[in-house]
Amino acid sequence: MSKKHHHPHDAHAAITHDEKPGFYEILEISIRELLVEKGLLGPAEIREQIEVLDSRSPALGSMLVARAWLDPAFKQRLLDNGVAAAKEMGIDMYDDTDFSVVENTETVHHVIVCTLCSCYPRPVLGLPPDWYKSKEYRSRTVKEPRAVLEEFGTIIPAHVDIVVKDSTANLRYMVLPLRPAGTENYTESQLAALVTRDAMIGVKVLRA
Amino acid sequence: MSDTEYFIKHLPNDLGGTTCNDKITITERALYPWEKRCHALLDVLDYHKIVNTEEKRRATENIGPDLAGKLSYYEKWIIAASNCLLQKGILHPDEIARKTKEVGERYQVVA
Amino acid sequence: MQQVVSHNPAKYSVGDAVKVSERFPIGHYRVPMYMRGKLVTITKILGRYVNPEEEGFGKNAGNKLWCYLVSIPQDALWPSYTGKKNDRLEIEVFEPWLENIKTL
Repeated sequence: MSKKHHHPHDAHAAITHDEKPGFYEILEISIRELLVEKGLLGPAEIREQIEVLDSRSPALGSMLVARAWLDPAFKQRLLDNGVAAAKEMGIDMYDDTDFSVVENTETVHHVIVCTLCSCYPRPVLGLPPDWYKSKEYRSRTVKEPRAVLEEFGTIIPAHVDIVVKDSTANLRYMVLPLRPAGTENYTESQLAALVTRDAMIGVKVLRA
Repeated sequence: MSDTEYFIKHLPNDLGGTTCNDKITITERALYPWEKRCHALLDVLDYHKIVNTEEKRRATENIGPDLAGKLSYYEKWIIAASNCLLQKGILHPDEIARKTKEVGERYQVVA
Repeated sequence: MQQVVSHNPAKYSVGDAVKVSERFPIGHYRVPMYMRGKLVTITKILGRYVNPEEEGFGKNAGNKLWCYLVSIPQDALWPSYTGKKNDRLEIEVFEPWLENIKTL
């Protein structure tokens, strides 16, 4: 990770970090402290929310995928009502968003993007990577998904339809990837270990 | 459509299908502590409906096309939050000026 | 908080061919420019959600509107699309942004 001391002047520059807080960090500290002083936020609330954010990672999504691969009834519930199925597995949608799981098959491949901002299923995948929020990914994925996927090393065969899901606020999508061949004897935890964040965004396919 | 009309109608965050041919920079990094705090702050502001998520989006858009591509993700968020809080009269300009000076001095930064 | 309850049934059904309005609101919107004026098919009635175009101005749980998942072939969106014929895009659109083609 870069720790160089220069300020990003355009979206392509790496986001860097000085030891001393910069203008925007000072503003963040100031706003937070003012709101706490006014009693509008409890002093522990930000820390507690950071703990919530830290407790969410792609491991949760992987757990849902592995269970869905092994349990057809669960898979159906997951596809029918993502919020309820995630809750069954102890995962709550802390941000009050709706959660929709879309299934990749031998003939359909889904890829998720948010062209207007950065809608992402944070409760099950954690915070999104920088590239998901980038101008390049957001502008190009809707227009040339196959070229974008190739940049991730993913070639989708001609007989497979690509469905781009442009997520615009209410629904947060996660891809249920195709289970790789050769995993017939895998345990649930072995399967979960195979599932990557990028496969659940739809920019990669899984191999055993 | 005139240039100004285009920018009024087409918000700077609305990127889908725009003329961008650049390759995607696929890198991974952990958020800096202040970025994560900023994320948590906006989550909590939404929980209390002090500044809801949609207001934050709208205020981020209002940063305008010139700065939209120049500020980082969370730099936009904290500017958006500050604007919303000022607009709603929850925070006052004098308070922010006083507090940022105090925080700058605390970290020995010239604000 | 006073909840504005409207029991109007959803205006459109799954399979309906509809048009996304070609209009340009001032301020906040959640219908990307690339979808304006496009012919789409309703693939799912998602339910009723708070209108983000009002929520963006701090209404806080104001009016709920019917929201639909709609689908459009990629080659209808982008004339120069070079992918495959059945490639498509799905997006959520609120009811006031949809127009019945028959009445056009």
